[in-house]
Amino acid sequence: MTVDLSVTAMLSMYAMLVIPVVIFFYLQLGIIRDTLIAAVRMTVQLLLVGLYLKYIFQLNNPLLSLLWVTVMLVVANISILNKAGLKRRLFFWRSLAGVAGSTLFVSCWFILIAIQPDPIYDARYMVPIVGMILGNCLRSNVLSLERFYSGIRKNENEFMTYLMLGANLREATRPYLRDAIKAAVNPSVATMATMGIVSLPGMMTGQILGGAMPMEAIKYQIGIMICIFTAMVLAALLNILLSLPVAFDDYQRLKQNIFQ
Amino acid sequence: MIVLRDITIQLYGKTLLEGANLQIDSGDKVVIRGPSGCGKSSLLKTTVGALATQKGTVRMDGLELSATTVDQIRARIAFIGQEPVLGAENVRDALLLPFHYKAHSGNHPSDKDIIRLLEQLHLSADILEKPSSRISGGEKQRIAITRALLLGKTVFLADEVTSALDPESRTSVMDELFRSEITLLSVSHDPEWIKRCNRVVEIQSLQLRESVADPQIGNQKSAIENADTGGGE
Repeated sequence: MTVDLSVTAMLSMYAMLVIPVVIFFYLQLGIIRDTLIAAVRMTVQLLLVGLYLKYIFQLNNPLLSLLWVTVMLVVANISILNKAGLKRRLFFWRSLAGVAGSTLFVSCWFILIAIQPDPIYDARYMVPIVGMILGNCLRSNVLSLERFYSGIRKNENEFMTYLMLGANLREATRPYLRDAIKAAVNPSVATMATMGIVSLPGMMTGQILGGAMPMEAIKYQIGIMICIFTAMVLAALLNILLSLPVAFDDYQRLKQNIFQ
Repeated sequence: MIVLRDITIQLYGKTLLEGANLQIDSGDKVVIRGPSGCGKSSLLKTTVGALATQKGTVRMDGLELSATTVDQIRARIAFIGQEPVLGAENVRDALLLPFHYKAHSGNHPSDKDIIRLLEQLHLSADILEKPSSRISGGEKQRIAITRALLLGKTVFLADEVTSALDPESRTSVMDELFRSEITLLSVSHDPEWIKRCNRVVEIQSLQLRESVADPQIGNQKSAIENADTGGGE
């Protein structure tokens, strides 16, 4: 099994943070405070999750696991809308449907069809898999939503030209949709293509450290990568399509009051 | 015929027009004038439902602009700006772009029609294969006009279309837009353009006022030009 890290060992790891902090101080970057707050937040949040997961895994109650998954989805959704600069009040339910729908769809595929754990709702699979997929969807969704709406906002003339040429809303927004999905997905294509050479993925590394055989670990890694990739594309597309009716008025004009 | 009745336009909290009226008959060539930022471009955008009005109605051939009629109204009007957007990689794709939309699918024009129109606008057929990035401002204007004509549009809203053109392109653009069957609502600072319009409308104290199209225009224009910082809004 893995060597457990003692308190002293952990302190030695926090000590490493002195290096970037000294560099920040030397360069007067003004981000020391933010860095320290981020480190504290990471510690507290992970401690809480550690405690929480311990109980979730022990109890292994499907309802409790689902509740936790729901919390993750809601928090992810709020964070997506905030970072994309869109009003939560207008988009909350629609983007939640997009994120939840795509994440749960691929998670179910992975767990129910591929892994088939016993019991099928085993929290040890459900919670981390949904969490990993969600974490990755978050970034790509922020990117795609932001790119989509800023694309239309910045190219108002172009967008209007499409409408004047007889495009309906779907047709007129298609070029921006294409750009947005591409922007969201491109980095992941690059990551997939260099995986194993440039980077050892976190999930696989974790499993190997946890004592799993490397061959076992890579199979999970491949599975999760395909899940993440598919969920990203699905969520980016769904989120944009579901947001259209809220973001445009009856004259296909982009509403100005949808931005935070 | 386009009728604007009792139009109030506000943009970013500033009132540009209040209860303004304008009637444009078929074949009219109207130019809107006034200082920068007074709402000339906004008026054009309002006419095609690109900008919301606070009050008032826009009618085109008896059809009132609303969420249900906006598609029909846009289908009849061509909007050409200072720098028209081609919206495709090369000129041929740009000209055919609208025919990929549901509204126009099936009306795909033949190469013969396209080339005939291009030649009318003093553009050679070679331009079809040129990448959009290598098209000059004057050519863009004429390609946008060609595209509108391919769609059978006869009402043109033109916003400072000649401001960036060399004299030759300017003449060919004007020749095309001032044909008798075309109804034109335009914004321009170009004296040649204004001279060819049969109606000059000024935006004055939030109203639209017809000024008489006569040789005095040259003088009026210079007075307005002085108050103008130039450039479109």
